[in-house]
Amino acid sequence: MQLTDRFTVSQDVVTREVGGELVLLDLNSGQYFGLDAVGGRIWELLSNAPCNLNELCDKIESEFDAPRQRIEADLIALARQLQEQELIRAAVP
Amino acid sequence: MDWTLEAPREQAALSGDPYDCWVSPQGFCMAEFRHVGHDYLIRFPGQADFLLQPEKDTFHTSAWPSPDCDGQTVANLYHNAIEPILGNHSGGLFLHGSAVVLQQAKRSFGEGGAIAFLGLSRGGKTTLAGSFAAAGFPFLTEDVIDLRMEKDLYLLQPKRSKLRLFADSARFLLGADASFADENIKQEVVADEGLPFAETQAPLRQIYILGADHAAPISIRRLSNQDALSALLPHAFILDVTDKARLKAHFERMADLSQDIACHALDFTRDYAELPKVRDAVLKCFASLPS
Repeated sequence: MQLTDRFTVSQDVVTREVGGELVLLDLNSGQYFGLDAVGGRIWELLSNAPCNLNELCDKIESEFDAPRQRIEADLIALARQLQEQELIRAAVP
Repeated sequence: MDWTLEAPREQAALSGDPYDCWVSPQGFCMAEFRHVGHDYLIRFPGQADFLLQPEKDTFHTSAWPSPDCDGQTVANLYHNAIEPILGNHSGGLFLHGSAVVLQQAKRSFGEGGAIAFLGLSRGGKTTLAGSFAAAGFPFLTEDVIDLRMEKDLYLLQPKRSKLRLFADSARFLLGADASFADENIKQEVVADEGLPFAETQAPLRQIYILGADHAAPISIRRLSNQDALSALLPHAFILDVTDKARLKAHFERMADLSQDIACHALDFTRDYAELPKVRDAVLKCFASLPS
């Protein structure tokens, strides 16, 4: 996975914020997933419009106190998990 | 809702894969769900087939028991599985669990209320509710949590005034000399003075989700709202996981519940001698609720 890869959220996922965190329900599988505050913000950004991971890193770096290198690594790991679960999918640039 | 008990018949092989299955903690299929045109066929292997046919705003249900399945078992399946499935499908809020009243609610519902125990099959929900009842706290239900919203309260409805327990649990409540015709099936223990039943609804105050580790020491841990939602979802009854609109609405109701009602993870060793300590721990936790 590359930072230039572009993603959009699945239309078959519903979300609900509970206790400051985000719970996702995949309507296709009936499975649910939890995202912490940063993950929830990433989901929100992806929900607003398709974007690549570099763009997401820029946003997260400006909003959270964490080094760029760590943000990139964590974001790629998260995007990989979300894609494996078919919660996000590649978007055409 | 009504249902018809049909003549027993063999469970013929069905074509195609079910769209959903309930799987026991041991990995056995407990129920299979299939679409049959606009109807739903729910098969409990070796027990009964239920056909749910849409009828105006509800369903008519027909049940065909397997030849070796008695009528009481079919009735239990209807009341403890089909009814709550249909209830959730119609926008209700039904969960798999038992419940007791810790303090008789006053008319204003300002004090006291019910607590619910959710858990996997054979996880100790009914025995725990029976233990509370034997200690003077009436049980509301042994298997189905039926919640009705009223003035921001989740009113837990009384269900049937009997507990279904395996013989060892029944003896724990009734005494060691209790005898049963068949030791290998659940015994129906009817409420009485020593095992009181709560006949009126009570506001739900807390939910306890029983842990799967039956050797764990006693512990009670408050769950975050997010963890509560994740913990609650497996204990709901869903008719059609492919019906996205209903699934979404159900998710919203469950999310509301996770935010409105305090949820706790409850672990304890499944040993009858431990139950008084479990009750004490739960009562202490209940007493700590803000009024």
